[in-house]
Amino acid sequence: MKAPFLRFRRHLHPWPKPRGGPHYSVCHFCDTLHEAASLPEGTAARCSCCGAVLYQNRPASLVRATAFSVTALILMVVVHSFPFLVMDAASIRTSLNLVSAANALIHQGSPVLGMALALFTIVTPLAMAGGLIYVCGPLMFGRMAPGASQVAKWMGKSEPWNMIEVFLLGVLVSLLKLGKVADVHFGMGFWAFGALMVCMAAAVASIDRNELWDRLEVAKS
Amino acid sequence: MSDPLPRAAHAGLAGCHTCGKVSPVTLGACPRCGGHLHLRKPNSIQRTIALMIAAAALYIPANVLPIMTVVELGDITENTIISGMMTFWRQGAYPIAIVIFTASILIPMLKIIALTWLCLAATGRTHPSPGMLGKIYWFTELLGRWSMVDIFVVGILVALVQLGNYMTITPGPGALAFAGVVVLTMFAAMSFEPRLLWDRLEILGIDPSPPNKADS
Repeated sequence: MKAPFLRFRRHLHPWPKPRGGPHYSVCHFCDTLHEAASLPEGTAARCSCCGAVLYQNRPASLVRATAFSVTALILMVVVHSFPFLVMDAASIRTSLNLVSAANALIHQGSPVLGMALALFTIVTPLAMAGGLIYVCGPLMFGRMAPGASQVAKWMGKSEPWNMIEVFLLGVLVSLLKLGKVADVHFGMGFWAFGALMVCMAAAVASIDRNELWDRLEVAKS
Repeated sequence: MSDPLPRAAHAGLAGCHTCGKVSPVTLGACPRCGGHLHLRKPNSIQRTIALMIAAAALYIPANVLPIMTVVELGDITENTIISGMMTFWRQGAYPIAIVIFTASILIPMLKIIALTWLCLAATGRTHPSPGMLGKIYWFTELLGRWSMVDIFVVGILVALVQLGNYMTITPGPGALAFAGVVVLTMFAAMSFEPRLLWDRLEILGIDPSPPNKADS
């Protein structure tokens, strides 16, 4: 959808802007300076020089971010309580979940890799979902949680390190690797993890960075 | 629209990397989130090149050393990334072989080539065409994480295949090197500053033809 840019349209629900102004937006790609106009929900502002997305107004952003994050947290409980894969081989049954994979690496001679795996698949998603709830939940009522800007800052930094979808692909590859050797089947944890992946992607995509920070600034003042 | 579009750097304005607020660069720190303000990421070319050289150097042990060791009834097999892929290929599991080839071999190599090209263009050694190079940069940032898949496979196999004397799998040193390649190339892509490409165009006196103008 082609979004209007620098043109005033009737706003459906633009997010509140901080006092003062005019507000500007800089394209992080080509450094073109734009005046930041308010956008109706569901549209995006694109750079008039290079076409990169400047900012977006996602529909029902705060509610969606909180709701998807709460769902993600609940799914995390399921993911950590049930195995991903169960393998029967040589009359031994072994099962896999995120913690056991990280643990195995730590105890089988590669502690750095084990810690990296735990960081990318357990800690980062937990921090992202928890952070979104902590920041966006109070913002729904126009309040700012104490230290919310620090949390938002760290959330932005940790976003590229959230690798749950990559781990899911890893589970599928391992299944194909082991399929010939042993009897492997999916556990409840796998399906919950698939759902978690969708929820995390939806939670992260449901609020634009500029909107989050504008709302934080409005709530602070 | 004969006037060139205004660029933030000329006005002394910088967009905060963390929160996106535009403030005068002379403030030093963003008034909203406290992040450092600068017109361009500092020393971005040097940082990108340094991280890339480190990644390229690690890429060799990552492919030569075994990523995991399989002990089956006392029989020791060392698996490298390439041998794992070849096994799938020989078994006729072509889609999965292609996925592993793309994630573990193609993407890291393309990333290193793409970042080299971007650095050359940003320093004026090749022609900067920001439209295409911008897309390359975007792809580099997007695809980087998927290379991690082989490391996760090693972790999963090590956790699952602990069958005592029958069969055990332990991680090898290649896995650590490969994880290093992925993390370093991710940092390299993050430290690159795409705005330098547009700065180059400006130095060359070329007006970047905006794609949007053609539509209107």
